[in-house]
Amino acid sequence: MALTVQNQRRAGKVALMIGLILGAVFAAGPVLWMLSSSFKSNTQIFELPPRLITDTFSFDAYAAIFTDPETMRFFLNSYIVAGAVTVLTLLVAIQAAYAFSRFDFRGKRILNVIIVSVQAVPPITLLIPYFGLMVALGLYNSYPGLILTYMVFTLPYAIIMMTGYFNTLPKELDEAVRVDGAGSMTALWRVLVPISIPGIVSIGIYTFMIAWNEYLFALTLTRTIDMRTVPIGIQLLMGQHSYEWNQIMAMSVLGSIPVLILFLFFQRYFISGLTAGSVKS
Amino acid sequence: MITMGRGRRRILTLAGAATAAVSVLAISGCSGSDAGTGDGDGGDVTIEFAQWWEPELPDGEFRALIDKFEDENPGITVELVSGPYASTKEQLFAGAASGTMPDVVGLDGAWVNDFASQGVIADLSALMKEYDYDDSDLASQIQVDGSTYMIPVVNFVYPMFTNDALLAQAGVTAPPTTRSEFADAAAKVSALGGDASGWVLPLSLEAPNGVQNDVMSWVWASGGSMLKDGQPDLTNDDVTSAVDFIGDLWDDGSIASGSFTMKEQDKVEEFTNGRVGMMIDSLAHINLIRETNPDLTFSISALPAEDGYDGERGIPYASWGIGVAENSEHKEAAFKLVEFLMSEDTNSELSTMAKAFPGNSKSVPDFVNDDELFKKAFEIYQAGYPANEFTGLPVAEELMRQLGEQLQAAFDGQQSIDDALKKAQEAWKAEF
Amino acid sequence: MSLRTTDDTEVIVTGVSLSRRRRQLRKTTESYAFLSPTLILLFVLMIVPIVMVIGYSFQDNVILNKSPEFIGVANYVEILSDPGFWKATGNTILFTVASVIAHLVLGLAFAMMLNSPLLGRFSRSFFRALYILPWLFTVAVIAVLWRMLLAPNGVVNFLLHTDIEWLASPQLALGTIIFINIWAGYPFFMVSLLAGLQGIPNELNEAATVDGAGAVQRFWNVTIPQLRPIIVSLVLLDLIWTSQQFALIWMTTGGGPIDVTEVLSTFTYKLAFAKYDFSLAATSAVLVLAMSMVLAVFYVRHQKARD
Repeated sequence: MALTVQNQRRAGKVALMIGLILGAVFAAGPVLWMLSSSFKSNTQIFELPPRLITDTFSFDAYAAIFTDPETMRFFLNSYIVAGAVTVLTLLVAIQAAYAFSRFDFRGKRILNVIIVSVQAVPPITLLIPYFGLMVALGLYNSYPGLILTYMVFTLPYAIIMMTGYFNTLPKELDEAVRVDGAGSMTALWRVLVPISIPGIVSIGIYTFMIAWNEYLFALTLTRTIDMRTVPIGIQLLMGQHSYEWNQIMAMSVLGSIPVLILFLFFQRYFISGLTAGSVKS
Repeated sequence: MITMGRGRRRILTLAGAATAAVSVLAISGCSGSDAGTGDGDGGDVTIEFAQWWEPELPDGEFRALIDKFEDENPGITVELVSGPYASTKEQLFAGAASGTMPDVVGLDGAWVNDFASQGVIADLSALMKEYDYDDSDLASQIQVDGSTYMIPVVNFVYPMFTNDALLAQAGVTAPPTTRSEFADAAAKVSALGGDASGWVLPLSLEAPNGVQNDVMSWVWASGGSMLKDGQPDLTNDDVTSAVDFIGDLWDDGSIASGSFTMKEQDKVEEFTNGRVGMMIDSLAHINLIRETNPDLTFSISALPAEDGYDGERGIPYASWGIGVAENSEHKEAAFKLVEFLMSEDTNSELSTMAKAFPGNSKSVPDFVNDDELFKKAFEIYQAGYPANEFTGLPVAEELMRQLGEQLQAAFDGQQSIDDALKKAQEAWKAEF
Repeated sequence: MSLRTTDDTEVIVTGVSLSRRRRQLRKTTESYAFLSPTLILLFVLMIVPIVMVIGYSFQDNVILNKSPEFIGVANYVEILSDPGFWKATGNTILFTVASVIAHLVLGLAFAMMLNSPLLGRFSRSFFRALYILPWLFTVAVIAVLWRMLLAPNGVVNFLLHTDIEWLASPQLALGTIIFINIWAGYPFFMVSLLAGLQGIPNELNEAATVDGAGAVQRFWNVTIPQLRPIIVSLVLLDLIWTSQQFALIWMTTGGGPIDVTEVLSTFTYKLAFAKYDFSLAATSAVLVLAMSMVLAVFYVRHQKARD
């Protein structure tokens, strides 16, 4: 006798919950440990048996970070750079993806291959020539230098993903607008973009994250302490002779909060359920 | 026809405005402070000093020291550029390649040969001659082809640390002084069970200085050498007996697990948490251990030598070295800074700050008289000789790594120690 | 007027026909107008250094040595006959393929769980926030954190009551870093697929149910086909990115023990900054680029076929 719909739903819910909880342990377990370490004194981070909360629970690590103006400057720099990169990358990528998705033109394939391939060069070998170029262009140790650099890193990803999202939307959509005499820009910004908001948001969040968490080029392209970013700040805590474990963990936690908030804030665009289905004619 | 909701329009307008705002903010005059390395009127000079020392020293003290230099030398401003230690090498290279290298650079002895041969750092012997510098007080100078390229400012010596309580628990009353005593003590501590181990050996290939500090140190402690006339000689008796000794420790199970990816910091953590009986480690960690675990009773002693050896014992060390960039435009000012840091008083002060031994043979750091452990260490230092044959070798770090790889294969049972040393010898010869 | 997809709706509207060539030209100009910011940025900032790197691979004594000399393909011969290079390549392929497959499976599984109608609003947001956590941290911290967790005396061994050298054992190291990479990278797939799942019209699923399709059939016949363009893009990107992964491996195992976790990125890094041989490093980089370009070409062909 088959399960009633009611029981099926219940079984489904239970299975779902189990899956979700297992996933949560996997995903958040290590982060929980990071959090707990940030509240310990350095002494107890490696003790056995390990404990989540120790008797010396304190906010010292966080206090050390907040009272250091240099460290606060790291956060400011990261915000500015990551924010600018996200906005600019999205703008540029949306245009480019439109061209790739909707048009056919000479050199399309080669350009596509090039855009994909620029990410395939090991950054460590690119570092020195790129650095020389930045110095020559006068962009060393400046916001524009970092912003443009990260744009170059994130554009291939953004364009490829955006093209993918646009490709899932039938061409009839923008054709419909053109019949009424609208041009390509209108078709893009008034038709495609609004429907692609979930995709755009996810690309935007990831772009922000890449810019926020990047270390190697940030270190190389900045010299003075007032231009450095959060990942550099974290690595500065890893000295030759000792690591400030609790501060490292605390700074990571603090560094993850902006992105988390961004995600939580924008996640309703994931569930807005905008569908392209309304075009079936 | 699809109508666009008001909400959508508002979002797009907002996005457009935000873009404009952010772009304007970001692009307009948001540059970092300029170091302005150029001679202004009246010969005012700004030099940059790139190092990883400032974050490791007590807050503000290093800057205060540099301020003293600026006071003594009006017209010279020193900008301290601090970076993470692990990335220093790449950054220096990138800087040299793009002409943005700082004037004065902190160096590690393992990089000197390569930097010098690539023309990254300046010949200090020439500078010393040019500025009439008397170098008789310098405890050591790192040379390549007869010219000095790096001067060790402070030296971190690596004696043996013993966890007295753990050893006592295992029935060992005093730190071992010979190899057989060491092997015995290590075995006894490991026999305690639980998570106790006699010795800890960091053999990570990422930062392979374990090969220098924890493996080769045994060779040097018995007056041995891994070189012959400046060429690799890894298959000689000294090295073979030392590595065999370690191999025996490994097979006995006296070494803590996790060696193949263990780094120096991990070694210290294990010791500090009372899980290891003995370790070879830098003096720089004495205070760290004390702060982290005040209950730990530990002592310092010289590294055990081969049974029956009674000559001078070599002690491994790592330095904070200093050099001048080859393409610095202010070599005179740069050298003045070097002179300052090596002067007797400043060097004493810096050594005290860093808890290291001075690079100026006349300097005496304060802690030597105040502190038992440091006093002991200083005695060991003076009774022996600083030994680090890797300093000044070409691709020194890579040499350590190559030997480390072979040793890992040997300890893992994939090859015999003799084969390991032979292969390492061949690899090394190729680099010379 | 029927909405036949034609190349030129303007013709329909205005009634004036354009010559084919003019239409082509307008399309091309328009496309390039849309692409211009991208092209300028990429060409100025990326192509120049990449060309320099390719140039280095044909020379000797580059970067700092004052006298670079052209030596043709000698560097390539040297690298390609180095067994270390091939070992690194093998490890890289294993590392990359295993990671990407796991990323996809895990990301899809999580995305579908989060998309399930059985989930309440609050739970959905809560779990969604939890599942993206691995994404939020810089690689150095992930490496340091997992080293801590997987140390012989660390938390993982404590919880499992074992004494395993996860990272230091030549047998387990590669698997372990693959695991860490899976943990660090699945949110990429999850978030993108979640966005993609939103774009699947409900009517499709409903129609399928009406036709009698069960959950599994709906998954394979509706969900996957709809997600295909996105999945293909994700897999391509992840393959390329994972093959470039450096810091995670370098900071956990340094390519060791022995050479079991040596991948092309660590191999190249050592050439550049341990052996100080930038020409060889550039050569290795060009070879990596060449391998990835093969992937890129396949991807683009696949896009063309879809159009």
